[in-house]
Amino acid sequence: MAKLDLSAITKSFGATRVLDQVSLSVPDREFVVVVGPSGCGKSTLLRIVAGLEAASAGEVLLDDRPVSQLSPGQRNVAMVFQNYALYPHLTVAANIGFGLRRARMRRAEKREAVARVARLLEIEPLLNRRPGALSGGQRQRVAMGRAIIRNPAVFLFDEPLSNLDARLRMQMRSEIRALHRAVPTTTLYVTHDQIEAMTMADRVVVMNGGRIEQIGTPTEVYSAPRTTFVAGFIGMPSINMIPARYRGDALELPSTTLPVPAAVKPRLAGHAGRDLLVGLRPEHLDIRPGGDGLVAEVDQIEPTGSETLVYLDHPAMRLSARTAPDTALSPGMQVGLRLLLERASFFDAETGLNLVPPPSNLTGELTA
Amino acid sequence: MVRSRAERLADLAVYAAMLLLAAAFLLPVLWLASLAVRTQAEVFLGAARFIPEAPTLDNFARVLRDGGFQTYIWNTIKLSSLGAAGAVALAAPAAYALSRMRFRGKGAVMLGILSVQMVSGLVVLIPLYRFMDRLGLLESHFGTTLLYIAAGIPVTVWLLKIAFDTVPQTLDDAAAIDGLSRFETFAMITLPLALPGLVSAFILNLILNWSQFLIPFIMLTADETWPISVAIFRFAGSTSAATTQLLAAACLLAILPALAIFIVLQRWILAALMAGAVKQ
Repeated sequence: MAKLDLSAITKSFGATRVLDQVSLSVPDREFVVVVGPSGCGKSTLLRIVAGLEAASAGEVLLDDRPVSQLSPGQRNVAMVFQNYALYPHLTVAANIGFGLRRARMRRAEKREAVARVARLLEIEPLLNRRPGALSGGQRQRVAMGRAIIRNPAVFLFDEPLSNLDARLRMQMRSEIRALHRAVPTTTLYVTHDQIEAMTMADRVVVMNGGRIEQIGTPTEVYSAPRTTFVAGFIGMPSINMIPARYRGDALELPSTTLPVPAAVKPRLAGHAGRDLLVGLRPEHLDIRPGGDGLVAEVDQIEPTGSETLVYLDHPAMRLSARTAPDTALSPGMQVGLRLLLERASFFDAETGLNLVPPPSNLTGELTA
Repeated sequence: MVRSRAERLADLAVYAAMLLLAAAFLLPVLWLASLAVRTQAEVFLGAARFIPEAPTLDNFARVLRDGGFQTYIWNTIKLSSLGAAGAVALAAPAAYALSRMRFRGKGAVMLGILSVQMVSGLVVLIPLYRFMDRLGLLESHFGTTLLYIAAGIPVTVWLLKIAFDTVPQTLDDAAAIDGLSRFETFAMITLPLALPGLVSAFILNLILNWSQFLIPFIMLTADETWPISVAIFRFAGSTSAATTQLLAAACLLAILPALAIFIVLQRWILAALMAGAVKQ
């Protein structure tokens, strides 16, 4: 049990700066998912917390105690690796019990601890096997067993599910969440998969280019993205970005001008005459005859069963919309679009920042 | 697979070349075998009769019963295996450092180690002799073993580095998080997982040491300390043709252990030599 603080962590490899002043505060027992494209520095951040890599500047604090001078073993953190990193020459039981080598416990106690963890993860029948004889999902469970047995202050997960197939990944997602409920431990979970971030996190940290773009609950980063990067990275299909200019009471869009609803006006106040980007999720784009005067051509239709995704071509941009599954559309059709501006996010086209800063702040304290 | 005429001709040429090469190495051995099964009388016929009229295994029996031969073989086993074990034990930490640690000049160190291998033993023979003399290590199996180890280390470092490279780095990370020190990680994780590589490096050293001649030749002058290679050379230089058939039998018997080890374990040795050649 511990609170984890990162204070202005910077890391450079030679002339390349992979982490730039990253600060983050994770309260005890919180499940934080760090998400970002590959190369954004998220794995390096995790390795610095683990002590496998030294920060060029900044400090890692566990329960307000700086740990940068401590070896990974002394930090009392546990880590689950992408490729599991099980010891191939040891049995499952030995792998799980390995972290207890130093613990002052009697042999019978250790065996009992291993059995307890194996029961929790439902891998008791596998205890005498070696990792080579296990499936991917089983290996993942053993890796988690090795992590929880030591009762660590912090759990670190480094893309633990990316080697699993889609069905197993979904199952393991909920199992890891269930595990966190059963053994509530401060957790830092790194992934490039935004679905994992959205479904598992108490809070999501979106990283890009070595910096934190936004920290917030999954709902916050989805519906109130701080930057155009966050807006584009979170959500599948990607958010629609419609170039616009605010003039008086109306928004000038490509090929049409829309009146601004009264509820939206305060958000745009003071930005008249500026180039903006209107971020609109696919579910906030209605395909309907006539529409708002915005007309596009249907390019592709992707039925997923529960809903149908429609990709549209407009001379100025490419758009996507989420519709009911029983749509009568077909490629090549010209359709009218209605924009639910009340649900849109508005960004400054120059800085890429949301005109209305989201409620959460970047140092990462919990918002009440 | 259907093969063209050109391809089959090329195969034929390759086999012919390999046969020629094999013959170059095998003919002396066959000649040795021919001599070893002759009676003393037939030895004088020389090359006139390759397959003797009255072949005999008597020569082998006499050599094997000879107390001196047994001592020489025992000396060879002792020097070769201690030398091989020493080389593997001392090369392993160096190879681990080269495999796992980032430091300036690593490439230069690797090349430097390899370049030692390129220096012929003959070049350093005299300074080496004087050096060992000063240390008072001449005439001892201890000193000789040290030189065997030194001779084996460079190639062993390379072999073991390649073996350690195949053990994933994340296991080191996992071990560090499990609280293991560098040395514990090396001893408890890397070494056991690189066991096949260690064994093949040991065997390769064993075979190289078995045929080692120069080092024991300069180090050891007392008859009872010689390994078989030196003993055979000394006898060949001192005996008349009257014992040629016995010498031939001794030579063949001396080759056998190394040959047997190689045939039985060639797959391991090949695996060690080929490891890292391609990315898995």
